[in-house]
Amino acid sequence: MLLPKFEYHEPKTVQEACRIVGELGEKAKVLSGGTDLLVNMKKKLIQPEHVVSLSKIEDLKGIFRENGQVKIGACATAGEIAGSEVIKDTLADVAEAASVLGSPLIRNLATIAGNMTSARPAADLPPSLMAYGAKAKLVKASGERSVDLNDFFTGVGKTVMTPDEILTEIAVEIPQEPYGDHYIKLGVRQALEISLVNVAALILLDGPEGPIKEARIVLGSVAPTPIRALSAETVLAGQVPSDVLFERAGEAAANDSKPIDDFRGSAEYRRDMVGVLTKRALKTALDRATSR
Amino acid sequence: MGKYDVINTRARRLDAPDKATGRAKYVDDICLPGMLFGAMLQSPLPHAEILNIDTSAAKKLPGVKSVVTAEDAGMVKYGVSPARYDETVFCKDKVHYIGDEVAAVAAIDLDTALEAVSLIKVDYEELPAVFTVDEAVAEGAPLIHEDFPRNICGEVHNEFGDVEKAFKECDLIRTDTFKNKRQDAGFLEPNGCIADFDPLGRLTLYSSTQVPHYVQRIVAMVLGLPIGKVRVIKPCIGGGFGPKAGTTPMELIACLLSMKTGKPVKMNYTREQVFLFGRARHQFVHTMTTGVKKDGTLMALKNKCYLEGGAYTSFGIATVYYAGSLLTGPYKLRNMKYDGYRIYTNKPTCGAQRGHGSVISRAAWEQQLDCVAEDLGMDPLEFRLKNVMETGDTTINDLYTSSLGMKECLEAVKTGSTWKEKRGKLPKGKGIGLAGGFFVSGAGYPIYRSDTPHSTVTIKLSDDGGNARVYTASAEIGQGSDTTFAMIAAETLGIPLSDVAVSSGDTDFGVDLGAYSSRQTLMTGHATKRAAENVKAQVLAVLSEQLDIPAEEMDIKKGLIEFRNGNPDFEGLRTRYLKEHRGWTDHPGGDDLTFREAARVAFLEKGPIVGSGAYKPGDLGGKYKGAAVGTSPAYSCSAAVVEVGVDMETGKVTVDNMTDAHDCGFAINRTSVEAQLQGSLSMGLGETLFEEVKFDNKGGILNADFGEYKIPTALDMAPVDTIIVESDEPNGPYGAKEVGEGAILPTIPAILNAVYDAIGVRIWELPLTPERVYMAIKKKKEEQKD
Ligand SMILES: Cc1cc2nc3c(=O)[nH]c(=O)nc-3n(C[C@H](O)[C@H](O)[C@H](O)COP(=O)(O)OP(=O)(O)OC[C@H]3O[C@@H](n4cnc5c(N)ncnc54)[C@H](O)[C@@H]3O)c2cc1C
Repeated sequence: MLLPKFEYHEPKTVQEACRIVGELGEKAKVLSGGTDLLVNMKKKLIQPEHVVSLSKIEDLKGIFRENGQVKIGACATAGEIAGSEVIKDTLADVAEAASVLGSPLIRNLATIAGNMTSARPAADLPPSLMAYGAKAKLVKASGERSVDLNDFFTGVGKTVMTPDEILTEIAVEIPQEPYGDHYIKLGVRQALEISLVNVAALILLDGPEGPIKEARIVLGSVAPTPIRALSAETVLAGQVPSDVLFERAGEAAANDSKPIDDFRGSAEYRRDMVGVLTKRALKTALDRATSR
Repeated sequence: MGKYDVINTRARRLDAPDKATGRAKYVDDICLPGMLFGAMLQSPLPHAEILNIDTSAAKKLPGVKSVVTAEDAGMVKYGVSPARYDETVFCKDKVHYIGDEVAAVAAIDLDTALEAVSLIKVDYEELPAVFTVDEAVAEGAPLIHEDFPRNICGEVHNEFGDVEKAFKECDLIRTDTFKNKRQDAGFLEPNGCIADFDPLGRLTLYSSTQVPHYVQRIVAMVLGLPIGKVRVIKPCIGGGFGPKAGTTPMELIACLLSMKTGKPVKMNYTREQVFLFGRARHQFVHTMTTGVKKDGTLMALKNKCYLEGGAYTSFGIATVYYAGSLLTGPYKLRNMKYDGYRIYTNKPTCGAQRGHGSVISRAAWEQQLDCVAEDLGMDPLEFRLKNVMETGDTTINDLYTSSLGMKECLEAVKTGSTWKEKRGKLPKGKGIGLAGGFFVSGAGYPIYRSDTPHSTVTIKLSDDGGNARVYTASAEIGQGSDTTFAMIAAETLGIPLSDVAVSSGDTDFGVDLGAYSSRQTLMTGHATKRAAENVKAQVLAVLSEQLDIPAEEMDIKKGLIEFRNGNPDFEGLRTRYLKEHRGWTDHPGGDDLTFREAARVAFLEKGPIVGSGAYKPGDLGGKYKGAAVGTSPAYSCSAAVVEVGVDMETGKVTVDNMTDAHDCGFAINRTSVEAQLQGSLSMGLGETLFEEVKFDNKGGILNADFGEYKIPTALDMAPVDTIIVESDEPNGPYGAKEVGEGAILPTIPAILNAVYDAIGVRIWELPLTPERVYMAIKKKKEEQKD
């Protein structure tokens, strides 16, 4: 498979990048790790006339903790996220999700911005970030905006971004202690998997012994976009955590999911697995919250 | 150290340094002056009449050198087995599956060739198509090949003994139906080739093939060239596992394009085209009825099988035979009836894959045998031991086992896995299972009827005596056969392995039927041994003349000449050697005459020292129809114990441990034998748990890539304990027989049996995806509720 022909751009600053995509609009595609874009170009699913690489823009790299926030540069790779002490300390399940994305080779290239923007229903990074209410910073020549990831995805491969925008950063407000999280990906084999179901859970406790102040559950692969299991969250809110409660939350989450039959698995199996994984993710999230 | 100096060791692979450092040359690394690039147009429809092909726009595209269709290629039929030649280079009147070849282009680069392909216009009229066995054999179903009513490509009906009578004497009879899914062999290197037709009318084809010999014959036959003008060279190969054991349309097309243009033409399959070419494991549906006596005596097996074969026959006739014939060992089976049908469908063609034809019947039966043992209240291992065959036994279908260490294999995995401590004592969700296997060590007959030797080998000593080169047309495809033959040559000649080089995979080096049916170690090994014996005899004959000592009183060991009655005075020979090598610093010295000196003197006396050897099995097997399939000079056997964990809530199976014993007769290279066992376990694990070529409802493949077609990753592989069992095969060189394919046979059923042990539900369909296992558990729970 050969790449189609295109013009290649390597801007050095975000401004320059914004100017280029602003001028070219639909004719250009932004290139980060290329693990989605180049595959789709080789398959001739898309044939942009221009490719704008972000690899030379230093401002888009790095992971920082500042003012109660974790800021992840658009070009941070899954490998960097998985290994980041900042993320492991504050958003453990984001590191977990990054560590099971693809294979080591893919993790060395795949970026967080690419994972958001490609908007695959089974993508590994969105669920845990959505649980934390992470925000995407979108920049264009004429200004910038910040979008909650819960409002970011609009369909399979679709987001609220416009062709003249560049995603520059994902920012996460670090919740108040005690809280705990967990991410589970269910695939057929141990690596290089597209999830059959993936679930992220976040529990915020009211004090160390807690009842549950708030819980957030995000389900992947069971709808055109990752979705919040809102009725499961309602089941949990204000309650004293227990296995029975988590079991009920799992059932509610299964009802919240809208899986389809496809060649990877049946809707029935996926729905049942939402229940199992939700229950398990909540258990581990609680353990983490109480051991903090 | 035993009686051997080179064989039975863990010698390093000859190809390892080149492969590890990137020096090794694969087809795609080869670039010839003026080389063109070819691309094919393949059918987008599963079954359609071709109304018109318009190549005019493609021909006009700048850079295009040739556009060919059936008009240019002719309609000579070819395939694998001459009894079923049903393929042509291109389709003329109709296409039979999505991927069937319609036209091809050679151009100055691949971009141009692909663009030209996209400019070829074909008008089709779609025909009704059949995708499953049921659809294909239905009354009034459309015929894929006119001469084959109900799309039955081949059928086999055999009965040995009297099954119905035997069932009457049985205390327990059970019937089960088992099915698998189509496989892809998952080799890393997509098929590629370069055809080079030179101005003198000679055609050289470089190709990633397992069988240079058969490709040479088919190319010559289809393109109308004398066989002697066609040379097939196999460079390094990135795996084969069976699908590379036949001729590809791409090989023929590249040759045709090279003949048309007078230029070398390179072509490669994309990964998707590898899937479309197919030729890997069929889908089998086996219905088996087994009868036993109360004491566990195995009485009879009735086996009915349907193979979903795709658009062409390929190896299919042999496959449908193997699916029956190899169940008669390694347990004493007194009566067997087999009815097998291979069915054409409008899908890519299935063929041979590791364990050809016998893997799924083995999986089905070994799982059923476990059920039978359970019904009888017997330990599955004891049940197998009770019925096990021994060396010298002949199966009911006339397969003679000149060596068979099956009992040893079973005992070895029993001890190795601590079976007794674990069986029946593991907690829910953990299981341990066992299975056995039986396989040929090389097909007893060539694919085409012939009296040809199956292998010829030539060994030539360098004129200085310092090196021996083995010439063989056999195919090193990553399994390590070159190293094996170097070791056999070194051992037989009595020289160190470092003094032997191997040139292989070239039809100019002799006849060798190639890497399939696990034949090379035994057959090419024999030819190598014979060639080396011949060379050794020539050297000793000269020495005998020179020293006036009978040749029988001399031997060669570790590169030195051994004289039975003590070293004679050989100063004359040594001086003669030294005189020719003034200025050299590595003069042979010491008390013993070296092989190098002896071989140099032999060269000076006789000219080039070249010896050859050939091997052909004797007459094998019974006289019934199809008796040839399943015959072999020797049979291997194997046993495996697998431990699994099953997540009872998700159905996900994790293989925790594998203990695998294989009787390879005698291990020429112990590391290579173990590597074959490990590879078989990994391949069998993938086939059991993940792998399935999936189709949409129009015969198109949904997962023709390694993202969605899931072969095991390193993380999926379990710790393995491999145990080599050596039974000393009288028909093998130094007692050796196969390990390449037979090792995979017990893997799948051992996992199946372990999963049952873990979850208490039998699953009769592969692969054991989490979903399939979960659904089986769920169904059982619901049944128990009712
Ligand atoms: C073998 C393989 C395995 C994979 N396994 C997984 C897996 O397990 N889990 C998973 O979630 N994904 C997986 N993927 C998909 C892919 O690797 C991820 O989605 C990855 O995060 C994409 O990031 P990238 O940097 O490579 O994106 P790219 O391919 O560079 O870009 C993807 C899309 O995002 C756009 N884009 C990228 N960066 C920006 C930006 N800053 N601003 C605006 N638009 C932008 C591009 O224009 C393009 O449309 C796999 C892919 C492959 C090839």
